[in-house]
Amino acid sequence: MNKPSSRTPVLAAAGILALSLTLAGCGGGDSAASDRPENEIHVLVYGDASNDVESAMVERFNETSDVKVVLDTIPGAEYQQKLQTVMSTDAAPDIFFNWGGGSIQDFVDADLLMPLDDFIEEDPKLKDAFLPSVFDVATVDDTPYGVPMRGTQPVMLFHNKEVLASAGIEEAPQTWDELLDAVEKLKAAGKTPIALGGGDEWPTQMWFSYVYDRVAGPELFQSAIDGDTDVWDSEESRESLGMLRELVDTGAFGTNFQSVKFTDGGSHTLLSTGQAGFELMGSWEYSTIQDVNPEFAASGLGWSEFPEIEGGKGDPANLVGNTNNYYSVLKDTRYPEAARDFLKLMYSDEFVQEQMAIGNLPTTTSTEGFLDQATNPDYARFQFGLVQDAPNFQLSWDQAYPPAATPTIHSAVADFFAGSIDEDGFIEAMQSLKK
Amino acid sequence: MTTLLPPRPPAAPDNPAKGRPVRAGRARLNRPGVAWTLPATVFFLLFAVVPLIAVVVLSFMTWTGLGDPKFVGTENWETLAGDSVMLKSLWLSVLFIVLGVATQTPVSILLGVWAAGPQRNRAVLSAIFFLPLLLSSAAISVLWRALLDPNFGVPAQLKWLFGDGNLFGNQSTAIGVIIFVGMWQFTPFHTLIYQGAAKSVPPVLYQAAEIDGAGRVRQFFSITLPQLRNSIITSVILMVVGGLTTFETVLILTNGGPGTDTTITAFYMYEEAFRRYNFGMGSAIALVLVVVATAISLIMVKVSGYDKMRSTMEGV
Repeated sequence: MNKPSSRTPVLAAAGILALSLTLAGCGGGDSAASDRPENEIHVLVYGDASNDVESAMVERFNETSDVKVVLDTIPGAEYQQKLQTVMSTDAAPDIFFNWGGGSIQDFVDADLLMPLDDFIEEDPKLKDAFLPSVFDVATVDDTPYGVPMRGTQPVMLFHNKEVLASAGIEEAPQTWDELLDAVEKLKAAGKTPIALGGGDEWPTQMWFSYVYDRVAGPELFQSAIDGDTDVWDSEESRESLGMLRELVDTGAFGTNFQSVKFTDGGSHTLLSTGQAGFELMGSWEYSTIQDVNPEFAASGLGWSEFPEIEGGKGDPANLVGNTNNYYSVLKDTRYPEAARDFLKLMYSDEFVQEQMAIGNLPTTTSTEGFLDQATNPDYARFQFGLVQDAPNFQLSWDQAYPPAATPTIHSAVADFFAGSIDEDGFIEAMQSLKK
Repeated sequence: MTTLLPPRPPAAPDNPAKGRPVRAGRARLNRPGVAWTLPATVFFLLFAVVPLIAVVVLSFMTWTGLGDPKFVGTENWETLAGDSVMLKSLWLSVLFIVLGVATQTPVSILLGVWAAGPQRNRAVLSAIFFLPLLLSSAAISVLWRALLDPNFGVPAQLKWLFGDGNLFGNQSTAIGVIIFVGMWQFTPFHTLIYQGAAKSVPPVLYQAAEIDGAGRVRQFFSITLPQLRNSIITSVILMVVGGLTTFETVLILTNGGPGTDTTITAFYMYEEAFRRYNFGMGSAIALVLVVVATAISLIMVKVSGYDKMRSTMEGV
């Protein structure tokens, strides 16, 4: 094509089109487009039933503020993935929901989060108004990066009062041996002793977190996550695995637990319909069951702490679970003052009352005064007592590690319970995790 | 692709007046000009080639989705080469394809030939039978997950058949469930292909066979099946490509589990990229998938003679 022809303009136009489309596809430039919106800050939260409270807080805030807060929600399962992809773009939220711990580690490493030291210095209540064991979970390298914004979710051992009574078990087991004893009695009564949503894998992980904590104390996991992977091969680690193996092999979870899920209503229905005696689950078990079977929630559902393991190093009052959810602030936010003022709402009385009304248990020090207003005051008091008295509150393993570790942890616990890997296989899997 | 474009307008022929020799072929065929392929080419470059190049580049980098990707050379590829889950996932993908083709093809041929028949009730029955095609894979997977729940689903009622109902807890039964659900979902689609093909078989062939005294079974094997040859190849290629990219069924039914026992390559790619935020590794897995899929498609096209599109009508 060595002569000018009518095609040249067509080619040129196409070239320009292609070029411009390619540029547009690369996510825009970094000049004019990076201006964050004027007079508004975006708050991104996990989309679920608790959004009512978040909306109420936003409304309250917008009544008096010139900078308006816009609430964006992303449905649960998608949340972490959407957040990760949006965080380093111009569409990043000014304030966002997270789980503290490992869930914000990558963001801190990428220098995207605002340290909250200055805010706390100006207003110490941003720290002091919250229970310390909970507040500390969103602290990375001694710097606070988050403020608690929902309810705490310790994992507890729930039971069906009627099933336990009919199997001749008088009260919830206080020790591991009593638990094993109860398992035998329930088996004899023809029940699945413990309901387990093994198909979801994270409920299986709860058993590991607790047994490890009771046997070895919280130090073992802390060392592991700090990078000392040798601890997985320690005596305590093998002892914990041995106890778990014994529990599975004795038939405590029945034989089909790998096909049962919590998320589709499988495991908690086993408990509430009287087919199983126990279920180890986060404190949301109560509201979940209340949703589908309010009668059972009100009179048939019992709860207790995870049993003590005799001779173990861990304090029997230690807790495992999701300590709380947190709001973290983007370093590049255009209106840091507005963000700070919004965070202040998280220790207000209105916030606590609103959370209690939907069954959540906020972790402010003022919560205690509102316990009587809860849906079930007994349950709220028990739970608050656990959290307040816990010497250590271990964040769920999969939240304590950065998200990259989750599939490995989940596969390892599921494979170990299924018997497809042994102690050595589990240790090897956990040792492969990088900090 | 060019065949879909309108013929070149006569208003813009190459002007041979400048004395340059005109190549014979060009003048004779009056092919459409290159400019007509531009829109398609641009979009192909933009949405297929550019991303593919980006994926190749990304496979030599480490990136969590935050900040800038970091170049790490062949690290991802070395990790992948020694990764037992990757090998297992490829083996599982192949197994899924083989089982998928083996279960869906015979059933859809029989159903398709049956549905091509003339009676009215068949039309009604076929319409009902095609219903799974209208549902999304996600909906279908959720439905079957609930139906096969060990304590509240079908297995609880049919204990003699399902035992303890631990279908999702063993590798073999979990694979079986995924294959079954895939079959339930896609057999109607392939049936549709075979129904169309079977309808276009010239009736004169059957009339001749009847005169020669061939029974229905003989007619099926000697006339129908050979006439469906090209449709079988089309259908199998679609199954293979679809099988390689099966994803949502696995995600919802088994989540790649128990452990990693149903982690096929497409799911593994998702897990690496969007659960571990290891986009470099995810890209490397994606490339393996692209290479394997292309190779399988090419081999199938060559071996089957599909590229020559030999007519099934020859000899008529």
